Amino acid sequence: MTIITESKMDKVIVVNIEKCLGCKSCELACALVHSKSKVFEEAIAESPRPQRMVTVEAAGEFAVPIQCRHCEAAPCVAICPTGAIQRQSEQAPVMVDEDLCIGCKLCMLICPFGILQIGPEGRAVIKCDMCLERLEKDQEPACVEACPTGTLKLVSLKEIIKARRTEASKQLVKETQSRKKTKSGKKRK
Amino acid sequence: MRKIVVIGGSAAGMMAAIAAAEESTDAEVAVVTQEQTTYRRPGIPALIAGYITDPADVRVFSPETLARHNVKLICPAEATNIDPQNKIISIRRDNKQEQLPYDAAIIATGGHPLIPPITGSDKDGVCTFTTYEGAAEIVEKAKGASCAVVIGAGFIALEIAEALMHKGLDVYFNVRSRILRKLLEPDVSEFLSNNFDRKGLKMLTGETISEIGGKDRVEYVIHKGREIATNLVVMGAGTKPNVALAAGCGIKLGPSGAIKVDNRMQTSIEDIYAAGDCAESPDLGTGLFVYSPVGSIGASAGKIAGRNAAGAIQKTKGFLRAQADEILGMQIYSIGHSSTTAKEVNLTVTIHDLNADRLGRRSQTTKPFEIAKLLTPVLSCESKNGGRIVGAQLVAKKYGSQFARQLYGAVLNELNMEQFLEQFNWPRIKLAEALVDATKSTVVVESVGEGKALALADTASRKKINQQSEE
Repeated sequence: MTIITESKMDKVIVVNIEKCLGCKSCELACALVHSKSKVFEEAIAESPRPQRMVTVEAAGEFAVPIQCRHCEAAPCVAICPTGAIQRQSEQAPVMVDEDLCIGCKLCMLICPFGILQIGPEGRAVIKCDMCLERLEKDQEPACVEACPTGTLKLVSLKEIIKARRTEASKQLVKETQSRKKTKSGKKRK
Repeated sequence: MRKIVVIGGSAAGMMAAIAAAEESTDAEVAVVTQEQTTYRRPGIPALIAGYITDPADVRVFSPETLARHNVKLICPAEATNIDPQNKIISIRRDNKQEQLPYDAAIIATGGHPLIPPITGSDKDGVCTFTTYEGAAEIVEKAKGASCAVVIGAGFIALEIAEALMHKGLDVYFNVRSRILRKLLEPDVSEFLSNNFDRKGLKMLTGETISEIGGKDRVEYVIHKGREIATNLVVMGAGTKPNVALAAGCGIKLGPSGAIKVDNRMQTSIEDIYAAGDCAESPDLGTGLFVYSPVGSIGASAGKIAGRNAAGAIQKTKGFLRAQADEILGMQIYSIGHSSTTAKEVNLTVTIHDLNADRLGRRSQTTKPFEIAKLLTPVLSCESKNGGRIVGAQLVAKKYGSQFARQLYGAVLNELNMEQFLEQFNWPRIKLAEALVDATKSTVVVESVGEGKALALADTASRKKINQQSEE
């Protein structure tokens, strides 16, 4: 099992569904980075077949890339009878220890997002690991790196709040301006 | 130093050992097991389907993991006798007898596949799949075969059938009455049967095959008088507890034939505990001891047994059986009691349908789920948990867990129908509609009381109308 260093989860993967084109680059990159060889040409011939842990789902007129949200009080961690699903610390991502997974599928039952799955390979439950190995090398998760439109972004909570604030103030300015315009328009009439 | 010996190296035994070692850090914990390695059961269908060829891919509880948890592995070795007076377990290793003294022992000898009494079930070509050897035999036999018959009771048998279909075989699935009888209601079974049949899994329901024929090898089977040519018959008709060792030293068995235990998973003999497919376990809803050979219950019961064996006093209220699987594109969830298992503990249940049909059409999206059912016991003075939901079942094509997790919560927290419908988060279903559906179903919602349910529905729909008029 990978030993997880502290505070690797100070950043989260944020999904902006308005930008997603449904190209599935994230799925490809995810499967590739979780393959044995990590080389595209070899990975496609591997057995067991490399599995993706992010899926692009069609939801109405939107395409939504969805992966493990690493919930704070994660239900899968609570329900796992063998302790195979755990987080090393409060800040760490939720990880599966394959060697303890007996395949009882309780986590599949309890996951609010339907993320956890047993691959056709019948191995342990597989789920997003936040690309820990990459994070430790200061790289972004594979799905984030592969995303061509900026739908998936690795951002810290501070950054999200800052972006929201900027967005909100811009909106405020816009509204005030339009109100002024309509007011002056009325006056002219 | 406290010596704890675990007999059996599957989910229950290994979890017992790990829990014991965690509970008492200075205890010496050893696992005696016959099989060289432990396999993840769901990996066996994958081996049969040929998705994986290396059994190492599906092994669990590796020696490294056990070493990390300070658990010693004695394998391959067979426990031959327990002497509770002198507290000694005799084992046979490399054809040599050894004596293992213990302070606490945990029996987790698991189960044997149940072979229905069919003439010819000893023929070559009749396979079981509880061990890796069995799975390897199926893989070997499936190579030249064009047709297979799976006799099955549970999810894993269906998974094996799906795996054989993936291999390109014509697969017949035989059950005595209906598929997943213990887990699902009759109409859910029928829905799935029809669905699987359409997908090419040929159903032989209503009767177990009466004969397996052929010279030495399996050549045909007979079901309801019809002869079906096949060279492979897979037995997945269920599990019976392996209690030879326990019975040999005078441990009492329960009415189910499995080892009788108390709420600390201790057997009738002090300092001997039992967990997993060889033992009974308390059922959360009723507190009664039942035989439920399910991996997750085995692991949870193993943990309780391990901690108590290590000196802790930990009692369990009971375990909630919850099973999920995806077979031929259908997600199936079964939580708690079904009407079949409820009958076994003398519980009469009312079945409530949660209907998503009308909604699917209105919102023009895919159906949120195919079938969902809730079970509450019929109120009577004998039933101590009257009105509380004791079971739930769900079939969905996609995202079933969104609903299944809420059903699980309802059964676990023993909500009644009223509380459940108040709390249930219907992503696309409005509360009022759901309530109307629940009350209109063939059975009356007794636990809520029809009048009250309708009143609730009325308020909800009035609120909705108010909201609409405001908009």
